[in-house]
Amino acid sequence: MITGKNSKITIALVLAIVSISLSLYFLQQTYSTKVLRVSTTTSLYATGLLDRLADEYRRLHPDIIIQFIAVGSGEALRKASRGDADMVLVHAPNLEKQYVEDNTLVEGDIFAYNFFIIVGPKEDPAGIRGLDPLEAFRKIYEAGIEGRALFVSRGDESGTHQREKILWSLVGLKPSGDWYIESGSGMSKTLLIANEKNAYTLADTGTYLKLKLEDRLPYLEALVTRGDVLINIYSVYIVNPEKISGVNYELAKEFKEFLVSGEGQGIIGSYGVDKYGKPLFYPATGKKDELKKQWLKITEWGNV
Amino acid sequence: MYSMSIFYDAIAIALRSLAISGLATLLASTWCVPIAVKLSGTRSRVGKAILGILNASIGLPTVIVGLVLYLFLSRAGPLGFLRLLYTPYAIVIGQSILVTPLLTFLMADSLSHLKDTILELAYSLGATRRQAILTLLRESLPHIISSMLVSFNRAVGELGVALMLGGNIRGLTRVMTTAIALEVEKGEFELALTLGGFLLLTTSFITLLIRALRWRK
Amino acid sequence: MIKLINVSFSYGEKNVLEDINLVFDKGVTVVLGPNGSGKTTLLKVAAGLYKPSRGKVLIGGVNIWDSPPETTIPIRRKIVYVHEKPILLRGTVLYNVSYGLKLRGSDTESSRRKAMEILRRFGIEDLAYRNSRELSTGQAQLVSIARALAVSPQYLLLDEPTSNLDKNRRAILEETIRNLSDTIVVVATHDRLFAEKFPRKIVRLENGKIVDRA
Repeated sequence: MITGKNSKITIALVLAIVSISLSLYFLQQTYSTKVLRVSTTTSLYATGLLDRLADEYRRLHPDIIIQFIAVGSGEALRKASRGDADMVLVHAPNLEKQYVEDNTLVEGDIFAYNFFIIVGPKEDPAGIRGLDPLEAFRKIYEAGIEGRALFVSRGDESGTHQREKILWSLVGLKPSGDWYIESGSGMSKTLLIANEKNAYTLADTGTYLKLKLEDRLPYLEALVTRGDVLINIYSVYIVNPEKISGVNYELAKEFKEFLVSGEGQGIIGSYGVDKYGKPLFYPATGKKDELKKQWLKITEWGNV
Repeated sequence: MYSMSIFYDAIAIALRSLAISGLATLLASTWCVPIAVKLSGTRSRVGKAILGILNASIGLPTVIVGLVLYLFLSRAGPLGFLRLLYTPYAIVIGQSILVTPLLTFLMADSLSHLKDTILELAYSLGATRRQAILTLLRESLPHIISSMLVSFNRAVGELGVALMLGGNIRGLTRVMTTAIALEVEKGEFELALTLGGFLLLTTSFITLLIRALRWRK
Repeated sequence: MIKLINVSFSYGEKNVLEDINLVFDKGVTVVLGPNGSGKTTLLKVAAGLYKPSRGKVLIGGVNIWDSPPETTIPIRRKIVYVHEKPILLRGTVLYNVSYGLKLRGSDTESSRRKAMEILRRFGIEDLAYRNSRELSTGQAQLVSIARALAVSPQYLLLDEPTSNLDKNRRAILEETIRNLSDTIVVVATHDRLFAEKFPRKIVRLENGKIVDRA
């Protein structure tokens, strides 16, 4: 006979067991035997391109799950060297170089590029519109010192931050002071901060275009968009399985091949066209040699 | 541009949050309950010192717990062979450690009002040590549940551990707080706001439950 | 038989019991004394709930603080101490009254039957399914005494059992105690009138010392 109290306990017990197993099942079903872990940069992930690529890849290989861990370029590389990722997608050549040289990352390839741009308030208090990028940085510095302009830096060792530091070192200036703000955040937040504060910043085209077209940056404009020093090169690397144990080399290689294949490159080149009117990224196919040269040049600047 | 798919995404993420933080709270209870029973109303100096430490670490920054555990669970770390990093279970473990001081302290505190009386009553009626402790647990069930709910609220609303140990992987470790952080990062507020609403609903509902429990007992 | 030999008890610096030598045997023993004289402590020490600071407590000849649990548990199960302020567990009155039986391994069915029987004897069977929280203090006191009797103890130690009871209930209690012919009963009270109902053996306690034995 089930008495009143016992039935209560039974019901509670059954409910507890059911909810625990449901939870476990719910968490388990997202697992698969084949998981590829890719550490990447926030700016790249936030555009949505990677999820788009992964979805397409999943359609072709339903048994493989690609997991992206989005952090700054510096951290993405460090995570890979700790063995917490099988593959990296980054855009910081001078950082990448160290990992390639010590043999942590292998089989590097360039899969996309676009351009960094210098954005700033419409009124352009430093007067940089249309200038050469280095000249523009010099002007921003002067205006900053004189208190006429602000600059927001990512300050997070990301690829964009690396490039910004290279640009400052190429003009031989060391920015500091109240006018130089370090956001310590990703690209979108940094742009939103620049928009709020009427400040200049260095941004990648993808993130800027996306936010601009969504009308979130009403006070900002792209002021400098041309110049070799602004090229933004996205590379893919596989973590060296001979150096770091447990790397899912086969899966990484397959996905890498997909990225540089006609299909992957097609997706990269058309991503965002429907939404923003122009692509956020350009595929690297056909321009590899040129891009490689540029890549090497950036790593040399990094040593300035 | 609010679409139904955002709403469904939000539901899946919210359910995942509830499952992860719920399991974390249950897991933490398995060691917090015995510790609380042992420590509540303690008169020993060591016991009091432990309670003091627990009390002081209730506000432990989540990022510190996350960072330390990341270093442990990372493949290069001492527990790397478990391959738990960037799985939901890493978050479960991280959050269970995160809420341990809070859960233990709350339970020890509420048990201390009952412990002496109930244990003495049980002994006076012939209970063994084990029976006496079971009686104590039965008597303090409402307190234990409300302490667990408070801890669940802390777990479900924290960001540091979930982000560092889970990695905010879509469909796997993306929970309400990490998703909100990402969406804000992307400058997209629709999903962030929907999830923010869910998070608020969850925590308010739990708070109401706690109040109802306190009122009843 | 409970035997206290040179028993002292102190809370920190404060001596609550001093050098008590006392035997509780068949029949009713009344410990009479004003509030704060150490009655409660004396009963708890005799029941094996408090460990004396000095001296020995022998229950049925066994020193309960000097023996392994296998020996002491069966002995402790023969003793029931009833608190002055009734402590009831969450749940129904019936659950409370059958609690002691369940501790002793009785199944739900038979312990409930036994509990009902006791409640009927006390004339409170209508309270059986009431929540213990809804009882008046007097009802709670009666329930906690019923809970003690349900396990048919060999030793029954009642701490101020009359303090919350009205006249009728006192009469029921007096009658019940009188009928426990095989049980060693100890009643601690400050109530001289109630004490005189059991004049066989009265021990007067003041400031932790026995001042008179009658």
